[in-house]
Amino acid sequence: MLNRFWKKPLGFKLSTVWIIFILFLAIFRDLLPGPAWDESTEALGVSPGSPGHFFGTTQDGFDVLAGIINGARLSVLVAVTSVLIGGGIGTFIGITAAYFKGKYDKVVNVVFNMMLSIPNLVLSLALISVLAATKDGIPASDSRKVFVMIISLIIVIIPILGRIARSATLQWSTREFIIASKSMGTKDMTIIKKHIVPNVAPAILAIGFFAIGVVIIVEGSLSILGIGIAGGASWGSMLAIGRSYLEFSPWETYFPVACIAFTVLSTNYFGDYVRANLDKRESKI
Amino acid sequence: MSPVLKLTDLSVSFNTPRGMLKAVRSVTIELNAGESLGVVGESGSGKTVLSRATMGLLPRTAVRTGTVEYLGTDISNYSAKEVRDLWGTGMAMIFQDPMTALNPVRRIGDQLTESLVVRLGMDKKAAQEKAIALLKRVRIPDPDAMMRKFPYQLSGGMRQRIMIAIAVSCNPEMLFADEPTTALDVTVQAQVLELLSELRKEFNMAMILVTHDLGVVAGHTDKIAVMYAGDVVEYAPTRQLFSNMKMPYTEALLKSIPRLETPTGTRLPVIEGRLPDPTKDEPGCPFANRCPYVTDKCRAEKPPLTDGGNNHFYRCWYPIGGAQ
Repeated sequence: MLNRFWKKPLGFKLSTVWIIFILFLAIFRDLLPGPAWDESTEALGVSPGSPGHFFGTTQDGFDVLAGIINGARLSVLVAVTSVLIGGGIGTFIGITAAYFKGKYDKVVNVVFNMMLSIPNLVLSLALISVLAATKDGIPASDSRKVFVMIISLIIVIIPILGRIARSATLQWSTREFIIASKSMGTKDMTIIKKHIVPNVAPAILAIGFFAIGVVIIVEGSLSILGIGIAGGASWGSMLAIGRSYLEFSPWETYFPVACIAFTVLSTNYFGDYVRANLDKRESKI
Repeated sequence: MSPVLKLTDLSVSFNTPRGMLKAVRSVTIELNAGESLGVVGESGSGKTVLSRATMGLLPRTAVRTGTVEYLGTDISNYSAKEVRDLWGTGMAMIFQDPMTALNPVRRIGDQLTESLVVRLGMDKKAAQEKAIALLKRVRIPDPDAMMRKFPYQLSGGMRQRIMIAIAVSCNPEMLFADEPTTALDVTVQAQVLELLSELRKEFNMAMILVTHDLGVVAGHTDKIAVMYAGDVVEYAPTRQLFSNMKMPYTEALLKSIPRLETPTGTRLPVIEGRLPDPTKDEPGCPFANRCPYVTDKCRAEKPPLTDGGNNHFYRCWYPIGGAQ
């Protein structure tokens, strides 16, 4: 297996290693050595490479490396849950709409188009500022903010993947093997499960990985706009704080930005690769 | 015993932007167990629509009238679920193009056992064994290895054998073969037709063989229905049809088959002209504009389906050899 892995293109190797690395950080954050991410140290704004602070510290004395490691957890949590749930719902709706057609399909199509016409950042912004608003001077808790953010991202993801699932299903559902399976008396849900899903999966997976990248960027953007997660708990949040000190400690900004960029690039590349390779069987026909 | 299949005045129209398209016009056909009927006609004559309409496999835009009786029961008003219960175990269909009628991303074994598990309620292991037996029956070499293969790894003839194995897996009473050999080359064609005939006798199935090739139906059917523009224009036992054909259209079809004995350089006779517009109902015989024997009567009045005796029916004012 490792042998086969080394024969893959360089981009695939890099993005796989990066994704595994980020997942590792997200899962084993608490077991890793190093300073705590939310405790200020004596060293204020130390540059990278200093003893004890490999990535340096922020102007407030927080260790950047610890922040990055901690931020991975939130980014992964937000991205994976929203894409899994939103993607699952969207794919289900899209496939059933395209398969059963009729009024249901028409309604779904109109709703998807309406949802897609709202810019996703604006939608998340509106939802968070309404559902996780600052009340009586007390800002909403971070967990509530994360929850609302995930909900809003799910709403954003549903039509994106739903449309892909719908169009892919439309393409496949008129194919003869579907009619052939139907003519043997197979139930609709069995046909969807066994004949449609395996065929639309490559497209869904590719867009799903792409959506993870989108979600991570939206999370960062919300933090910069000042309504995301506060206090440097996510990459976006670190970026939002760090940008004020760009001239004094640029590393505060660079490291989270690099993490966001690499992760988005990796997921995009990974999605493309998965799609190209799962489609191979089809392209051979 | 009631016939396996009895169609009475079966008509199919499609609702199109240009008006109602009449694809099949009041067809009456009867088929007994073990019998095989060839449905012949050129492209667009309604052959495929006829067989799909009988099964109930039509898109929503289609309007079907007339009755379909299956083993003596009228199934034309069955709900979608009731019809689906018949599919596979009662009626099964073999499709024209085995390249597209198999799911490209699933293994042959999975596709073959699917209906055994879903329709017959077999457990995985029994279905697996039955599937291997079926593969052996349709003469697939090394059936165990075949179970694990994907459709793209097989030739056209092999795929069509797989399709046949899937279609007969639930022992249907009635098999529809919609141009089963069109996508195959001639030698493979003969093998597949031979296999279908064998299976038909073995399982005592009734079969409808849809094709545009009179040569294909000649050796493998008991009776033939020639279709033109949605009408059955000639309906007779196979021997009777070939020895004593009445319709100028059937004659023209037969003439347009290439033959070995004609000298090289001879032009293949074709049927000039085109099918009439199926959205319009014009008076007269639909074949009038292309018929070599056309008269004024043909253009003015549509001939009825005439009984010529010996179970021979035709739709012509001036049948070849005269009326009997």
